[in-house]
Formats: sequence, C-alpha cells, structure tokens
Amino acid sequence: MKNITARLRPGIKPRKPYGLLAYLRDHYLLYLMLIPGLFFLIVYKFLPLYGITIAFKDYSIFAGSNPIDAIAKSPWVGFKHFDRLFSSSQFVKVLLNTLIINGYKILFLFPIPIICAIMLNEIRNVAYRKLAQTAIYVPYFFSWVIVFGIFYSLLGTYGIVNSALAALGQERISFFSDTNVFRGLLVFTEGWKEIGWNTVIYLAAITAIDPTLYEAARVDGAGKLRQIWNITLPGLAPTIVLMLILKVGYILETGFEQILVFYNATVYDVADVIQTYVYRMGLGQADFSLGTALGLFNSVVAFILIVGANTVCKKLLHRSIW
Amino acid sequence: MQLRKRNKVNGISLSTSEKVISVISYIFMGLLALCAILPILHVVSKSFSSASAVTSGSVLFWPVKPQFETMKYVLEETPFLNALKNSLLVTGIGTVISMLVTIGTAYPLSKPDFKGRKFFIMAYIVSMVFFGGIVPAYMVVRTLKIIDTYIALILPFFIVHFNMFVVKNYFEGLPESVEESARIDGASDMRILVSIVCPMSKPVLATVAMLYAVNYWNNYFHAMMYTTSTKMQTLQVFIYNTINNTQTLVERLVIGNYTNVSIDGIIAAVVVLSLIPIVALYPFVQRFMVHGITIGSVKG
Repeated sequence: MKNITARLRPGIKPRKPYGLLAYLRDHYLLYLMLIPGLFFLIVYKFLPLYGITIAFKDYSIFAGSNPIDAIAKSPWVGFKHFDRLFSSSQFVKVLLNTLIINGYKILFLFPIPIICAIMLNEIRNVAYRKLAQTAIYVPYFFSWVIVFGIFYSLLGTYGIVNSALAALGQERISFFSDTNVFRGLLVFTEGWKEIGWNTVIYLAAITAIDPTLYEAARVDGAGKLRQIWNITLPGLAPTIVLMLILKVGYILETGFEQILVFYNATVYDVADVIQTYVYRMGLGQADFSLGTALGLFNSVVAFILIVGANTVCKKLLHRSIW
Repeated sequence: MQLRKRNKVNGISLSTSEKVISVISYIFMGLLALCAILPILHVVSKSFSSASAVTSGSVLFWPVKPQFETMKYVLEETPFLNALKNSLLVTGIGTVISMLVTIGTAYPLSKPDFKGRKFFIMAYIVSMVFFGGIVPAYMVVRTLKIIDTYIALILPFFIVHFNMFVVKNYFEGLPESVEESARIDGASDMRILVSIVCPMSKPVLATVAMLYAVNYWNNYFHAMMYTTSTKMQTLQVFIYNTINNTQTLVERLVIGNYTNVSIDGIIAAVVVLSLIPIVALYPFVQRFMVHGITIGSVKG
C-alpha cells in the first residue's frame, strides 16, 4: 500500500529502494516499445545531422560506396560554400521572399479567422451555423496539389475568371506567371485552405468561455459589441497569442510545399523561398554542398525562432509548445 | 425568423447594433461558406461537361452538356488507378505503423517514474527543433537503397513528433489509480497499455490517426523526391504531373481520337476523382478532428 501512495504522490519516495536492474527486469517491455521510434530517430533524424558536414566539404556523391560513405571520403573545404552562398544575390532574394510572403500571410490572414469565429458564434440558427462551419473547413483537408488543380481550373488561361474577364472585354490575367499577382495568389490560396480550420480552433476557444460572464454583462446592460470587446476577445487572447507565436516561430517552415507546387520558372524572382531554393539547387541541380549549406542556415535560424517562440510561450502563457 | 423568436423568449428587444452584427454575421459566413464550396462545385461540373463547353468557359457550377467520357479517359488511359492504389496502400499501412510506433513511444515516456525518460524526451525534442536538411535526408534514403519503394514513402512520417507529444500528454492526464489497481492484479505493462490505457484514450488516438492519414495521403514533396518510376507514383504526384504535362495529354487525345475530352476537363476530372476518398471520409474526419481541437486546446 505504501508503494501505491508513493506512486500517486510523485513527491514521496517509496520506502523500499528500487534499483535500476530491478526496474529494468520489471519493465523491459517499456524499453522494447521505444525501439522502433528510436530507430527512426537515429536513421532519419540524427544520421542527417552527420550529413550536415556536406556543407563543409566538396561533396561528390560517387566518392564512396554509398552517399553517406561518400561524405567521409569527400575533402574538407571549410566555409567555401557559405562564402559562395552569402555572396550570391540569390541568397538575399530567397531570404527576402521568404520573409515577404510569410509576412503578407500573417498580416492579411491572421486576423480573419478570429473575426470569423466571433461571427460564427453570433449565428443563433444552429443548422445554419453547423452548415457554414462544416463548409468553410473542407479545403483544409485538400493537399496543395489538389488546391493547385482547383485554382488552375478557376484562374488558368481559359478558367472561369479569365473567361469572365474576356467576356467583359478585359485583358486576361496570367495568375500563375505574372510576377505582380503571384504573391497575391499564394496569400489567397493559403487563406482559402486554412481560414476555415483556424476559425474552428478559435471557435473551440470561444465555447470554452464561461457563459455566465455574458449573462452578467447583459444584466449590466452591455451591448453585443461591448460583450465581444470585453469578454470574447480577452477570452480568446491566450489562443491568439499562441497562434501568433507559432506562426512567427515556424515562419521559415511554412508555405514550402505550396510554393513548390504553385511556382514555375517565370515567377522565381518573387516566389523562390529558402526551402524551394535548397531543393532546386541541392537536389535538382546536384549542387549538394550549396544546398546543404543553405539548409543548415535555414535550420539554425528556424531553431532560434522556434526555441524563442517556446520561451515566449512559457513566459506569457505558462505552457510549452511541445 | 430565428432572431425574432429569440427576442420573444428573452422578452428584451435587440438593440440596433446587435441586429446589425447578427445580419452581417449571417451574410458574411454564408459568403465564406460559398467561397469554400463553389470552386469545388465548379471543378466537379467541369469534369462532367462536354469539351466544347469547357474550352469556351461556359461551365459554371453545373455540368453543361453532361458526358462521362472525360472520367472514362482518366480511368482507362492514364495511370490514375495505379496511383490511387499506391496512395491507398501507403496511407493504410503507414497510418497503422505510425500509430503503433507513436503509442509505443508515448506510453513509456508518459510514465513519470520511467528510468531514462528525460533523456528520451530530450532526444525527441532536439530532433524536432533541429532539422538536418533536405539534402542530408535524401542522402540517407539513397544510402538505404529504398528510393522508389513504399518504405521511402512511409519513413518521413514514421513518427511525427508533435503527434507523439499529443498522445503522451493525453496519457499523462489519465487517472493513475485505474492503472495501479490493474498492476496489483498482476497485469503486465503491455496488458495495461492494450486493455486499459488505449481504450481510455480512444478520442485522442482517433484524432492522431486522422492526422497521420491526412499527412500520408496529401504528401507531395517526399513522394516526388523519393520516387522515380511511374509505377510508384502516388496520387498527388500523378495529379501534379498531369496538370504540368498537358503536352503529352494533347498528343494522347489526338491519337486516341477522344473528341469530346478537353485538357482542362481532364485536369478537373483528376482532381474530382482524388477528392472522392476525402469526401467519403469527411463525416468521420470532421467528428474526430473537431474533437481533436478541443483536446489540443486543453492539453497543448
């Protein structure tokens, strides 16, 4: 019985000393369970960390018996590839594109789901609300390729939008190759795919707000706008802050697959981001060392951002991202 | 109607501002719902419309001069079915494997007295926040000689750290007393996990399984990077290639003498066909995903 109380209250140590060996004998199954996951970590997460040395070598994929062996056999060249990278105009361009595109996305798309959730919450007709809610997040489950296919249908040269423009005597717009509208297309399609889902997240947070607060406010004569301003928004604040921190923390990660699917050579100038450039250089053009160098730069900045985001999260919200 | 009813019940009249907010909400959310649904309806209509209607741009949200030739063309003349098979296999097998690994990892790590817990958790956090990069990961996959196999398509999502942490946090929140009484009855760790912990965690496990399935099904980047042959193409790669290689489509249309099939029609049909599994599972997805959000917002 003592043992049980100890387990229930982690602060109190059990009276009988419980050695490591005895623990392993009793719970070896727990360790066996961990093996597949650890195998994955070593192969797909930690082995690539060793692969980072490619950035500091003149890597030739055929230098060894296999691509990993080739890393050890390739000669060290220090920061040569980083010099090459940081002195190229491409580097500045992809860095700026990454920040601009994701900045636009946060600026234009971040507030919309909050407003939508508040509006959805104002709809009293349950059937109408359920229907609207179910409809708006359907696109969240589509892949970027599907979203691309759908928007190609709408905005392609002979798509519905251009047909309408032509019928009105306007010039057709090449949404997928015009550098003036391409970023707008990225922001818009991101919104189309994600707004509904984020709305549902905020809506879940609104439902968690104590309804008696509204009751009390009504008795005090507070109007709808007052209630939204003084109860709903403060109630949503932690979720809003968390979402914003996550958005900023993952600014280098997001949007990669979308751009990879949507872009083409004509819009590289405005749409090429760090990750797409890493992929195109590192694997497409087989400039492995440059690709790894830029990838490492990306990982280091992402690491700082994410750990920073987590620290802010812990300070402000007393919770960890993971 | 609904508004008026509520007024009567409360016995207080709605102020003008409240009415305005309510009306705007109804209209705006209705429009937003249409924005989400109409493009899908448009693509569906296009896939069943005649070639002339599609190319002249007269198809809106209902098929014009309906035909099934485009669908027939996609099913019979393109590798669609093979790509579908690949996607189904990868998603099915991948989700099962990922769930087993995720549960097997989350359970030991959820036990506060598990020896080495801190070390293992640290290993997962480190590998979550620091990524080796696309090129090194590709080199590993090539070294393993699994390019162009199902294994390469499953490996990237074998265990998704975030999902594992969600499950682990949920396990930690379960009442310890239930597990403890089973232990007194002599149940092993495995038995406790299978017959007590997992059944108690059904909602979170269903949500995480859904997240994995969506990951596998929707993934384009890894599938594109790690496969080379048409035979191993997944649905997403196939759709992307179809949209971007219209030239080959034109040639095949001319050779095959498909007069009532258009390029834009084929693209629409491919998109529509690949939406079917998602739409079919949507009620299920919806139930668990929305539930998952509530779990997520409580547990993080």
